[in-house]
Amino acid sequence: MKLVINLLQALMLILGAPLVRGVISRVKARLQRRRGASIWRPYSDLFKLLRKEDLVPPTSSVVFRIAPALLLGATACVAAFVPVVWPIGLLASRGDLFLLVYFLAFGRFFLSLGAFDGGSAFGGMGASREALVSSLAETPFLLALTAIAILASHADISGMIGWTLQQSFFNISTVHILAFTSLAMVVLAETGRMPIDNPTTHLELTMIHEAMVLEYSGPSLALIEAASAVKLHAMLALLIGLFMPWGMASSYSGGELGLAFIFYAAKVAGLIFVLALIESGVAKLRMYLVPDFLGVASALSALAVIFTMLVKR
Amino acid sequence: MGNSQLQIGMANIAFRSLLVGLGIVVPLLLMANRAKRMRRIVAALIAVCSLAAAMAGATALFQHTAIRIELSVVTPFPFVLTLDQLSAFFLLLIGSAATPVAIFSASYFELHYSDQLRNWIWGFVSLFLLSMIVVVTASTIFAFLFAWELMTLVSAGLVLMEGDSPERSHNVFIYLLMMHAGAAAVAASFFLFLPFSHTQDFEGIRFSLATVPLGTRTAIFVLAFAGFGVKAGIIPLHLWLPRAHPIAPSPVSALMSGIMLKTAVYGLVRFAFDFLGGGPWWSGYVVLLIAAVTALLGILYAIAEHDLKRLLAYSSVENIGIIFLGLGTSLIFAAHHNFVGAALALTAALMHAFNHALFKSLLFLGAGAVSHATHTLDLNQLGGLQRRMPATGLAMLVGCCSIAGLPLFNGFISEWLTFRSFVAGSTVLNTKTQVILPLMVGILAMIGGLAAACFVKVFGVGFLGRPRSAGAEHAEEAPFAMRASLSLLAAACVCVGIFPGILLRPLGLVIGGLIPAAGLPADIVSFTRIIPWTAAIVLGIAGMAVLLSGGKRIARTWACGLPGLTSRMQYSSTGFSKPIRFVFARVYRPERKVERLPADQPYFPVSVSYSSVRTTSWERAIYRPFVDLFISIAYQLRRLQTGNIQVYLLYIFLALVCLLTFVRFER
Repeated sequence: MKLVINLLQALMLILGAPLVRGVISRVKARLQRRRGASIWRPYSDLFKLLRKEDLVPPTSSVVFRIAPALLLGATACVAAFVPVVWPIGLLASRGDLFLLVYFLAFGRFFLSLGAFDGGSAFGGMGASREALVSSLAETPFLLALTAIAILASHADISGMIGWTLQQSFFNISTVHILAFTSLAMVVLAETGRMPIDNPTTHLELTMIHEAMVLEYSGPSLALIEAASAVKLHAMLALLIGLFMPWGMASSYSGGELGLAFIFYAAKVAGLIFVLALIESGVAKLRMYLVPDFLGVASALSALAVIFTMLVKR
Repeated sequence: MGNSQLQIGMANIAFRSLLVGLGIVVPLLLMANRAKRMRRIVAALIAVCSLAAAMAGATALFQHTAIRIELSVVTPFPFVLTLDQLSAFFLLLIGSAATPVAIFSASYFELHYSDQLRNWIWGFVSLFLLSMIVVVTASTIFAFLFAWELMTLVSAGLVLMEGDSPERSHNVFIYLLMMHAGAAAVAASFFLFLPFSHTQDFEGIRFSLATVPLGTRTAIFVLAFAGFGVKAGIIPLHLWLPRAHPIAPSPVSALMSGIMLKTAVYGLVRFAFDFLGGGPWWSGYVVLLIAAVTALLGILYAIAEHDLKRLLAYSSVENIGIIFLGLGTSLIFAAHHNFVGAALALTAALMHAFNHALFKSLLFLGAGAVSHATHTLDLNQLGGLQRRMPATGLAMLVGCCSIAGLPLFNGFISEWLTFRSFVAGSTVLNTKTQVILPLMVGILAMIGGLAAACFVKVFGVGFLGRPRSAGAEHAEEAPFAMRASLSLLAAACVCVGIFPGILLRPLGLVIGGLIPAAGLPADIVSFTRIIPWTAAIVLGIAGMAVLLSGGKRIARTWACGLPGLTSRMQYSSTGFSKPIRFVFARVYRPERKVERLPADQPYFPVSVSYSSVRTTSWERAIYRPFVDLFISIAYQLRRLQTGNIQVYLLYIFLALVCLLTFVRFER
């Protein structure tokens, strides 16, 4: 039973990911007074890409071909860490926060290599910028998670979520506020959203993530798009699990799980609305302001770690 | 019982025979002179001896009784080798890395050096290995210092093999100078024990600890840390490392970076944990601070390099920093009597030492294969090698993933252990430590992120895309022996990465001998079981995706509608690291020079040359005052040398008077 629920929630994270994307762009469109595409559009995009031809540059090697698959594999593995309706994820009871963050790095590493293998200027450019952003985002990401891990005295995701579930919402500490803020900033940077990177840009010179995938087409591109959708969804689910897990099921009963799912959907919808609001209201940061943005996130997360000492008593 | 007797006997025989085997290489070569067959025998002998070292180490690891070899008859001072568990672990490390290096060398030396030089190199390599094995197994002061010195001199000789241009000689001079300063500090820290110890062997030193006063203990720790720190290449004592490692022949670089640096880790662990049982209370914090600076600056310097071997040398500095982060954390835990945490952190440090030996040897050997195929090590001249050297490229990819600390590769396991020991720091009963250690998570995270960026650059620029020079264009796959040795190391990296238990369990025994009453926390052990599952998930999904995505059509890369792309349009190594160099400009302090020719027509130049050098201003600021002081003292002392014989006679007379008064009043 437990295994089934775990598998189901991991699948839910993966299969629901394009829907999250669809809803985001729909909400954004509404905020900008456009009608917007259907929320199911990302699914049809993926199917369209899967049916198309896969073009490979003549200079490329096997790395170019396997990079999207490894990216999707690593991202799916991350999704298996993050609980949705039931506080214990498929791998979350043993796999800890470091493994989660490093599997994201794993996918990014191979995508950057794939970008280089295209042999054009844009791939290297995207990889270079991604290297800057991700190496600076690593610090706040791990520090914020560490702060929560110290409070929960568990380094595994399930233990952290289980601890938060036992706390009262009205009893939240400074550590949570600081860690949430910095983690939210990191999520923006990690998933390539505004103000770090513009996911809808068409200008190569401003691209980060899009520049890396410029040479990919057809099924390979579908894998990359699916992976980045899963990554976004998993990050949102992680934020929910760590900072607002209340409402997760505490027993296997169908009703409770259903209720937990409704709670989860509402929370994701809330986060999506905020994300759309940010994306519609903020301009993209200049490349060399990104370190400042992430520096603020690092400072906040460092403060979160320092304050654990006071809160823990 | 009988079984363990048998194992001890086997380890004993393997250990003795490898000592003899490495010892007879030089006489063999002298006898054989230039016969080619003899060199093959020598290469095989060294490989077998390295394998024997690994096996002896692996067997002795599980035994509580140490193997003792008494060689005092040969030397004027007591000369004893003891293979206890810590030594056995390092013997295993040396053997595991040296075996593939020996296989690689068999092909590399044969293709690159003249007959006469090859004999010299093989002789020196065997002595180098022998000296390192003696260093980690020596159990008397004389044996240790003798082997330590031999190791330095032989490695300096190996660096000089490829010629002695003034620049190379200068680099070797700096290497020898710093090594001897370090050796002096190590010797001094040993000698401080002597007034309290009855014998010169390590056993006596261990027993004497109770009688050593606190001040002397502190002095011993500081001297040992400085002495071994020079050998390990911690910043600011690293100056020799990026000078000496890149100019050695590639297999020798692999031995120096992969193994020789670890002897310093061995020495420090021996002193800090075995002899002193933990340093003074502040020692852990000092080590931690220096380690953090070392790792961070090391990787920042590495990412700015575009010479593959210099980059790898700086990355060794970074990895030594990570190892020392573990050691420092362990000392902090030990000072607060948290032995579980101390064991965890020490496990992390030793595991990283082992992993670094594997993947750094792999990367340096790979660099050797690349320079063999393309005749260059400049990343900006490489590219497209994955298509031309698929097996070498794949092994290098594994090496890059490992050193970048990606999960499913061995580098991740040790970095993860280090992370976990930082988090465990929040349980120490000291409010400052509770904050300092968890904050180190952020530092290590940044180091990990930068390392990933650095090795994306190495593989992306060096092996992928289009070739950037004719050398890279016409590269051919490396010979079989080279590929075999690279694949062996790559397989070891993946194996340890997916099944870390094979290394963690024996390490637990080693740690148990150093830190009393400590085992690894349960969640660490259970974590290692989940790695194979994650590997199955990642590879399963990736495999399915590859199968599903079906056929590909080859089509030209998008060139924005222009006629075509050239290799110069790709991002170079320098271009890739530019954003990071820009953000961390204060660290690099680049010195830029733009020269326009002719000089009198700045607006219509015929040629413009631009050069940018990362200044080592930090190092200069630290070392310059010492050098200046030394030289000014030397100038002052020169006044004593007047050249006048009467004055010299006066000196002798004064010295005599001083001595006589001293003798008179001493009683």
